[in-house]
Amino acid sequence: MHRYRFILTRPLQFLPVIFGVSIITFVLVRLIPGDPARVLLGARATPTAIANVRAQFGLDEPIWMQYFYFLQNLLKGEMGKSITYKIDVLPLIATRIEPTLALVFSAVLLSVLIAVPLAALAARNHGRPVDHLVRVVSTFGIGFPPFWVALMLILLLAVAFPVLPVSGYGSTLGDKLVHLILPSLTIALSLSTVLMRSLRAAIVEWLKSDVATAARARGMPESIVFWRHVLPNAVAPTINLLAVNIGWLIGGTVVVESVFALPGMGQLLVRAIFSRDYMVVQGVAMVFACATVLVNFLADIATVAADPRVKL
Amino acid sequence: MTAAHPLLSVRDLTVTVEDGDTPRTLLDTVSLDLNRGEILGLVGESGSGKSLFCRSLVGLLPSRSLKRTGGAVLLDGQDIAGASAVELQAIRGARIGMIFQNPTSHLDPVMRIGDQITEGIRFHQGLGGVEARTAALEIMAQVGFTDPPRQFSNYAHEFSGGMRQRAMIAIALACNPEILIADEPTTALDVTIQAQILTLLLEIRKARGLSIILITHDLGVVAQTCDRIAVMRHGRLIEVGEKRRILSAPAEAYTQALIASHPSMPAEVAPGRSPQSEIVSPRPRALVEIDDLHVRFPVGGGLLSRRKTFSAVGGVSLQILPGETVGIVGESGSGKSTLARAMLGLTPLSEGHVTFDGHSLSLKRAETLKALHSQAAMVFQDPYNSLNPRLTIGETLAEVLRVHRKVPDAAINARVGELLDLVELDRSFAARKPRSLSGGQCQRAGIARALAVEPRLIVADECIAALDVTIQAQIVALFRKLVATMELTLVFIAHDLAVVRSLCQRVVVMHHGRIVEEGPSDRVFSAPSQAYTANLIAAIPDIDPDRPLSGAPLSSPLTKGQPA
Repeated sequence: MHRYRFILTRPLQFLPVIFGVSIITFVLVRLIPGDPARVLLGARATPTAIANVRAQFGLDEPIWMQYFYFLQNLLKGEMGKSITYKIDVLPLIATRIEPTLALVFSAVLLSVLIAVPLAALAARNHGRPVDHLVRVVSTFGIGFPPFWVALMLILLLAVAFPVLPVSGYGSTLGDKLVHLILPSLTIALSLSTVLMRSLRAAIVEWLKSDVATAARARGMPESIVFWRHVLPNAVAPTINLLAVNIGWLIGGTVVVESVFALPGMGQLLVRAIFSRDYMVVQGVAMVFACATVLVNFLADIATVAADPRVKL
Repeated sequence: MTAAHPLLSVRDLTVTVEDGDTPRTLLDTVSLDLNRGEILGLVGESGSGKSLFCRSLVGLLPSRSLKRTGGAVLLDGQDIAGASAVELQAIRGARIGMIFQNPTSHLDPVMRIGDQITEGIRFHQGLGGVEARTAALEIMAQVGFTDPPRQFSNYAHEFSGGMRQRAMIAIALACNPEILIADEPTTALDVTIQAQILTLLLEIRKARGLSIILITHDLGVVAQTCDRIAVMRHGRLIEVGEKRRILSAPAEAYTQALIASHPSMPAEVAPGRSPQSEIVSPRPRALVEIDDLHVRFPVGGGLLSRRKTFSAVGGVSLQILPGETVGIVGESGSGKSTLARAMLGLTPLSEGHVTFDGHSLSLKRAETLKALHSQAAMVFQDPYNSLNPRLTIGETLAEVLRVHRKVPDAAINARVGELLDLVELDRSFAARKPRSLSGGQCQRAGIARALAVEPRLIVADECIAALDVTIQAQIVALFRKLVATMELTLVFIAHDLAVVRSLCQRVVVMHHGRIVEEGPSDRVFSAPSQAYTANLIAAIPDIDPDRPLSGAPLSSPLTKGQPA
């Protein structure tokens, strides 16, 4: 169907975006004070040793030449060698993708599972005590910063009542899932409130809409009016909100992975920044940027699928 | 054939709202009967309670603060006023179907049309998917869908306004109800589409023996379709009776006023600044001169695909003389609003010239815009949305006066008062905000804002389309007074031809972005030279029931039961 033709043409528009991201990350990394060779070799390294390391990683070249090599590598599907780990950046990142992906996925799933029923409950009781209670509780979710929520959850569910692991990541699937509960809950507590508020407002509007009235006028019971007419119409604006938040969330894993010691890309990024590992920082930033672009692309597809009027 | 009791009998129905300390009565002991196979016209201005009356019949009150506080609704002898939610669900759709004014907002935009039709069939009749689809396709064919199997899978936005209303009718009729409540079903439609929909309703009534309650503010529609008329005002039923009796000998003063304000009444001829338009020698220079104007809008297209364009106005040439009153008519999408906007420099011209008072918009854009801003003004269709809700009417008017430096700052308040006098609003309105005004008052404020510029040209774009018929008549009278007393050139855009006929000296008929006919109103309306114009005129529902709607079958059961 030609409504979905943008799936073929849209990715071409990503190329300039990715190109722009590559320039910005490349330049920004080099604005961080400090020299990777000096960090690697320590404070007492000789100027000759430092110069050698710099030459080895091409850091003695002018910045545009460095960028040129970076692009050249990128076209070959490489992202250079890590200065600290001494291995290629791409395989290094590949080993860290799984925990981050699992974290983002479970956090989003959990958020939706919390947000949709609460939004429905509040909207269908619009103006009644239940509605007010849900809104007050959700205000707390927005008000508390995630790192604080994370620490409180650890204190409550891993220290005071040790039912869940404090931190780390397991090796078996079940073990991994158990380790993901607290981190994804941390994210879901704030993300679900944002979704909940948007969805609640949309449901309230659609419950009052002419579409709902018309459905009632043909004898549909309130449950059908809600599930078949109100909810499908109300989710459309929330899809885009979710996409924006997932983009933000991918960057936000940096904090959560650090607190819970999850061996994901966020944690890798933080360490790479401290050791001025330019290649790794660039690589992770590129992967994050591509992931964000991809998520928005998927959201566009979902929006078109959810609303036949949308043309992209 | 006298049935023991009417199909629907409403007794002393009362609805109150509790939003303050004291409950207000919105429907005051309304009693009304609907006979089998009858079309009952329910007329009255907005806020008269006619929609509320129909909704309360099936327990669909629009807010929780509204309560039915008394009365009975007997459907075939059984009182349904106190019925439970489940009982009412079994009645809605299955025995009483409803269609609404705005099909666009009442159809689910994300659900296929066919699914919305089968929804009721499956719920009420318990049919399976395949049988329900078969039944839906049959209904769709009956209400005039040309290709039901394909159109079953289309969404509302893929249809025209008229087809959307046909879809609403199909949904309402899907379960073969005994009663159809049609709430202003044609108000949002063009006059030719309105005629088609009304004809369809008459045919359905004939084919199925359906009883219809037709809510409308247009007495022409009532005259053409209904058997009996009920007039409502302020939540009360003030008069009910046989159509011809009500139209020819209304008992109540309000009904008389309603009939007198219908634009198809033999109106006074437009106040021609008399033979001036027939002056042979020196022809005055045109105030607005439009020469082969094209306006195209880009549609679709993207970064890589070639841009496509939609031609809204395609090659229009028109001259408007100073002091003239020109009406532009046409169906929606005919390009009349685009033409008006192009005239005021509000939309980019793709080709051709627009000259205002000798300044060419395409050659000297800045200079012409300056002239237009200080000498031309526009009045918009939606009076509420075109006024800033945060400013009082006085502030809105003062802003215009200040920006254009029409009067010294000290004299602004006095001038605001004069402007309000001019549009016949009390001076106390200067302190009020649009929210607290009625539609008619708001539109008067909109006209006052246009007059504040002291314009030579006013362009009024569908400025009465959103108003009740009695208010429409008042606004038209106001325009007539302004044109007669001021040096004003008026371009009046409307889809209501009768209004244009009574107000404008000259009329321009547009269709698909082109002018199909233009000339003096008398000539165009009495002897249209183009078939399109003739069709447009024939589709106006006349208040005289003996002048049938164009397209309506002559054998329509309209005249049934009429004394010979």
